[in-house]
Amino acid sequence: MIGVLSYLIFFMILALVFGIAVLGLNLQWGYTGLFNAGVAGFLAIGGYAMAILTGPSREAVFGGFELPFLVGLIGAMGAAGLGGIIIGLVTLRLRGEYLAVATFGIAVTIQLVCLNWEYLTGGTLGLIGIPNPTHELASAPLAQNAIFLAMVVALTALVYWGLQRIVNAPWGRVLKAIREDEIAAESLGKNPALIRLTSFVLGCMLMGLGGALYVAFIGFVSPFDFLPIITFQIWTMLIVGGSANNRGAILGAIVVWAVWTGSGYIISQIVPPEFQAQSGAMQAVLIGLILVLSLLFRPRGLIGEKLHVSRHAKL
Amino acid sequence: MRRLGKYVALGGLVAFLASMGNVMAQECPIKLGAILPVSGPMGQVGERISNTGAFAVEVFNEAGGVKNCPVEYTLRDTQGQSAVGVDAAKSLVDLEGVKALIGAVSSGVSLPVLTSVAVPSKVVQVSCCSSSESFTALAQEGKTKGYWFRTYATNRSQAAMGALLTTEKGFKNTAVIYVNTDFGVGLAKRYVEDIKKLGGNITSMIAYNESQQSYRAEVTKALEGNPDSVFLVAFPVDGATITREWLSLGGTDNLIVNNSLRSDDYFKAVGHQYLQNLVGYDSAQPRLPSVTTFNELFQAKFDGPPNGPGLHSVFDAVTVVLLAMEAADELTGDAIRDQIRNVTADGGIEVYPGAEGIKRAKALLAEGKQIRYVGATGALQFDANGDVQAPKMTWKLNGTENKETGYYTTEQVADLIKRLDK
Amino acid sequence: MILQHIADGILSGAIIALGAIGLSFSMKILRFANFSHSELLTWGAYFALIFASFTAAFGPGLGNPVGPFSFGWKFLAALVFTAIATSALALVLHELVFDRLRRTANHMTMVFASFGVALLLRHLVLLLFGGDPIYYSNALQFAVLLPGGVRVMPDQVFLLGVTIVVVVSLHLFLTRSRTGISMRAVSENPDLARVSGVNVASIVRWVWIIGASGAAVAGLMYGMTVQLRPELGFSLILPLFAAAILGGAGSLYGAVIGGLVVGLSENLSVMIIPTTYKPAVPFLLILAILYFRPQGLFGERQ
Repeated sequence: MIGVLSYLIFFMILALVFGIAVLGLNLQWGYTGLFNAGVAGFLAIGGYAMAILTGPSREAVFGGFELPFLVGLIGAMGAAGLGGIIIGLVTLRLRGEYLAVATFGIAVTIQLVCLNWEYLTGGTLGLIGIPNPTHELASAPLAQNAIFLAMVVALTALVYWGLQRIVNAPWGRVLKAIREDEIAAESLGKNPALIRLTSFVLGCMLMGLGGALYVAFIGFVSPFDFLPIITFQIWTMLIVGGSANNRGAILGAIVVWAVWTGSGYIISQIVPPEFQAQSGAMQAVLIGLILVLSLLFRPRGLIGEKLHVSRHAKL
Repeated sequence: MRRLGKYVALGGLVAFLASMGNVMAQECPIKLGAILPVSGPMGQVGERISNTGAFAVEVFNEAGGVKNCPVEYTLRDTQGQSAVGVDAAKSLVDLEGVKALIGAVSSGVSLPVLTSVAVPSKVVQVSCCSSSESFTALAQEGKTKGYWFRTYATNRSQAAMGALLTTEKGFKNTAVIYVNTDFGVGLAKRYVEDIKKLGGNITSMIAYNESQQSYRAEVTKALEGNPDSVFLVAFPVDGATITREWLSLGGTDNLIVNNSLRSDDYFKAVGHQYLQNLVGYDSAQPRLPSVTTFNELFQAKFDGPPNGPGLHSVFDAVTVVLLAMEAADELTGDAIRDQIRNVTADGGIEVYPGAEGIKRAKALLAEGKQIRYVGATGALQFDANGDVQAPKMTWKLNGTENKETGYYTTEQVADLIKRLDK
Repeated sequence: MILQHIADGILSGAIIALGAIGLSFSMKILRFANFSHSELLTWGAYFALIFASFTAAFGPGLGNPVGPFSFGWKFLAALVFTAIATSALALVLHELVFDRLRRTANHMTMVFASFGVALLLRHLVLLLFGGDPIYYSNALQFAVLLPGGVRVMPDQVFLLGVTIVVVVSLHLFLTRSRTGISMRAVSENPDLARVSGVNVASIVRWVWIIGASGAAVAGLMYGMTVQLRPELGFSLILPLFAAAILGGAGSLYGAVIGGLVVGLSENLSVMIIPTTYKPAVPFLLILAILYFRPQGLFGERQ
């Protein structure tokens, strides 16, 4: 049973770390309608910022400031937010798929910078020895992971609470108004460009936070952690969970990550040993099938958007 | 009512997980976990590595398994993604109760697995293929706690061999085309340093990113400066694309290739007839009966020679781990870790691959004798960082066969490196 | 060397252009970004392989070589076969997945369903054909030296010709045939087209057929000049999207120009920046173009 518990804790840490990034994406897409296909890039900014701020110093590599964990988290969110401002200013006038391909390209560029700019990122080798704060608090790995999970749960709850406050506040209603009809929102005296940018930057900061937590947990960062596939995974989590619903976003992260990794477990249980080498392909087919079927039968996601109708409207 | 449903579902989940937990309470079979990329861009390489790893387990089971218990080889796909690989490793350790981990292939996956799963869970991890210098650095800092081993020789000796081969062939102007990963970058940089020490000249250094649709731009750029030879650091699939485009566009067929291109997939994909001036080096294949034994075993099993990246080294990775398990008093990570050096220690009685060899090794261990496993990559000797030094060989293609042309003992390679590092 | 890079860029751009046409149409008329489109290239290439192995009696691979080319007349038959087979596959996907979703879900759900379909299709190829790279012909074709020091492979020049023929016929189809004109009407305004008596469902099927046929031809061409492997289409997905978006969704010539721009910019970029940054080049170019023309080069402002 200890093994199961240990695995479940480990699983939930990764799922919720992704969940925080999904919440960020939900703010951007679910509530504001911004098709950000560059999630991996913002995860990378956060992750590398964490590594540079808190990691040990290395010869011929910038950074290694050995700052406290909390400074790393804040720095990662700040770096991703700054990236979000710059990228948002350049791209947010684009719409739909055009915004997607622009942000996707930026994520590819960020990943290539991580891969090739050795002085800043350690290049292909990545950066090793990034401290995990729980290692000072406990010595048993299970306890360390349990503390890390508690921290991630607390952060997820905090982010969830904050986002709920935002989206249920008047500002949140303006977001939805912009999503549905930008011109109408503008005519009501709102500044859509500024509000879209704010929402985009906040979302990017959450992705940076997710990236930073991932790196601190794993203790290592390399460019191969932020391949474009991560963007698809995060998006899938949001769409399967149900966009414009923060609980759906968290649920989606857990369910999709469970499918993605659990399918490997299931396949390894049922496939005879001589076909093991094909298990990777079978796992991918299974993931694809589950994804398509779940969308066919729950097109709005597991928990979709709650429709809000004004109290004053007569039905 | 809805809430009740939720609790029922939750209860079902817990029961399911509990039943999974019971599976691992059994002692037999002993599980060995493998985390390898069997789908995605590295899938072709990973699949052959995995089959060879499974084959090593099969051979061991033929000799009666570990502690009279059959060994079960449990493979999980990394999809080439670090997060997926880390989760797979954790689930192998916690849910399946594997006693040791084999893998991964790319350092970008092996390293996170090591730091977040193997070391904290006190499980030995042996990689067949990860070459990054970061592992050595991590071990020197004491962060691997000795749980990390690799049966793949580091970049240093490979670069030296490549440079030696280039200058021995009399090539003066060499283009370097290399894969943009820790493996390729590390190797290419060392190679260029070595070539300059040996008096050669580099016309261009072109890094390429994996899995691109075409490499014409890279090839065209590498053709500038009219190189008389090209040093290619690649894996079979992309390597074949590059070689075909290189030759088609009029590049020289004086190719020097790294060990992962000593693969029939690569030769077949490019066409043997175009590769008759190709030379390469490889670790392993020492002149030992153990290697011949392995080659014969492999040939019998897979109906083809063991040409391909990581095949020899994964066979040894698996066998060494299983021997260490056999030698260990109990199947804990610490005991296995300590025994890995014992079963490969200098001065022990040499034992070789194959069911007979394993049976002999087990008998010797039962008598309390010291053994030394000499395997598919020769006499493995792990240093304090879990790195291995191996003898080297050079080879060329002759028709469709690849023939050994030179052999360098571990000592000769060390001398060469010492000369170059001066 | 610059001439060589330009030649390489045009030749590789031609393949991207063919693949991007279908993607561009589906973005405009089907109204979603179809991530599984690139897998149709993969299937197109493998369907041609199946054809080649079933018709081995009529010459190896794609036929006994004719002239300077590595293939023979059988190539044309393979072209038709794979276009039909890939279209059939696309129609099956349309009926089973996308058409159902179109009625119940928003376009984002379709985008992610297409991602799931792509995963499925790609790994089915891996299961059915294995991961080893395959070649229609193992003979290596050597480049011919043209005046100006440019080296090109005869096959690629021929394939450039195929691309031109396909684009011209598509142009004629769209401007002359009844179906083509209806297709443009649906693309402009589906509601107006519907009330004007256009059978939208049938037009949507035609979009799939055209897209799949283009993808099949592009996949076959890519397989001929590079190799067949399960990741064939997947490795092309970024250039394809870049080309389609760059040209502007729904524009035939936009997709062609987009493909050429992507091919040229990738090949020319290595003259000034390290090759390791090459994959970013088309995107940065797109970013620059979209900054001034947010609807793409030939797209219409919404």
